[in-house]
Amino acid sequence: MESTQFNNQVLKHSDKLFRLAKSILRNGDAAQDAVQDLIVKLWEKRTVLDDVENMQAFTMRSMRNLCLDTIRQNKDEDELPVELEYVEPNPHQQVERKDLASLIRRLIDDLPELQRTIIRMRDVEEMEISEIAYITTLTENAVSVNLSRARQKIREQILNEQKRVEETVWK
Amino acid sequence: MEMMNELLEKYFRGETTLVEEAELKKYFASQDVNIEHEIYRALFVVFDQEKNETAKAPLKKVMVSQNRVKQLWIRTFSYSGIAAALILALWIQRPKQNDDYAVIHGRRIDSPEYAQQYAEKKMNDINMILKDGLKPMHRMEVVKQNLQLLNKISETQDKILEIEKTHTINN
Repeated sequence: MESTQFNNQVLKHSDKLFRLAKSILRNGDAAQDAVQDLIVKLWEKRTVLDDVENMQAFTMRSMRNLCLDTIRQNKDEDELPVELEYVEPNPHQQVERKDLASLIRRLIDDLPELQRTIIRMRDVEEMEISEIAYITTLTENAVSVNLSRARQKIREQILNEQKRVEETVWK
Repeated sequence: MEMMNELLEKYFRGETTLVEEAELKKYFASQDVNIEHEIYRALFVVFDQEKNETAKAPLKKVMVSQNRVKQLWIRTFSYSGIAAALILALWIQRPKQNDDYAVIHGRRIDSPEYAQQYAEKKMNDINMILKDGLKPMHRMEVVKQNLQLLNKISETQDKILEIEKTHTINN
């Protein structure tokens, strides 16, 4: 694969790769480094890229694997427990989360890695379930189940937040 | 209203298609959102905002460095070509059995030792240029393959020395 083809077929996905890496690593700078690492690795192995049928799915899968490796290597640093539960924000956090949009972003970030990756691939990147299944190495059914769980959790917490706000107003 | 309720329920169960999800996004981006659904608007706003997030500049640097690799390739081939041409020129103009001289830069050289030293010096110069130029690229497998050309040059150099030696013995 020549550099022009590489630009057209691989680098054009760099924004999606960045968003995926940021979602998994929950850090913009680390995501940027991860994307750069991946691009260098793909460039070094560009001879095999000619055989790839779905470049978007292939690069997204590679990106996820690289991010998961990074998390494993830096286990002590930032990965939250897999089944993290929503904790009522303290007053300081409440100020921070003054608008619903930033609360929702936080809620998605607090989902387990698989669920937040799947919900973002579907609702932000608008990918087909089959493509997400390839990237996450799950069955399509497992992807749908995880997607449903992720959306339900977000919904529950949005409704809880609404309830909390209403109670505060009426006090 | 009823249709949107059903669609939302389907969405939270993870059963909507991409087309139906596009319909939901369009609905929540409009001004006609039912008050009952208003609570979910922020969720779709977040997805839309995240979709616009892009990778930052460093990716370009990768490609710049890749261009540098390409330039090094060209330089490597150029130097190898020059070396090969030099060897060929010395080979063609080597002293004959009964006519003991070589021609370097159009000047007749009668001393085999001088001719040999001249050839060795040029080889060393080329070696140094190549080594300096390729220092930062030690990790690049492709460049390593190129360095093998140097071995071929050395082999050719050995052959010249052997011929010179045979020639000296014959004389």
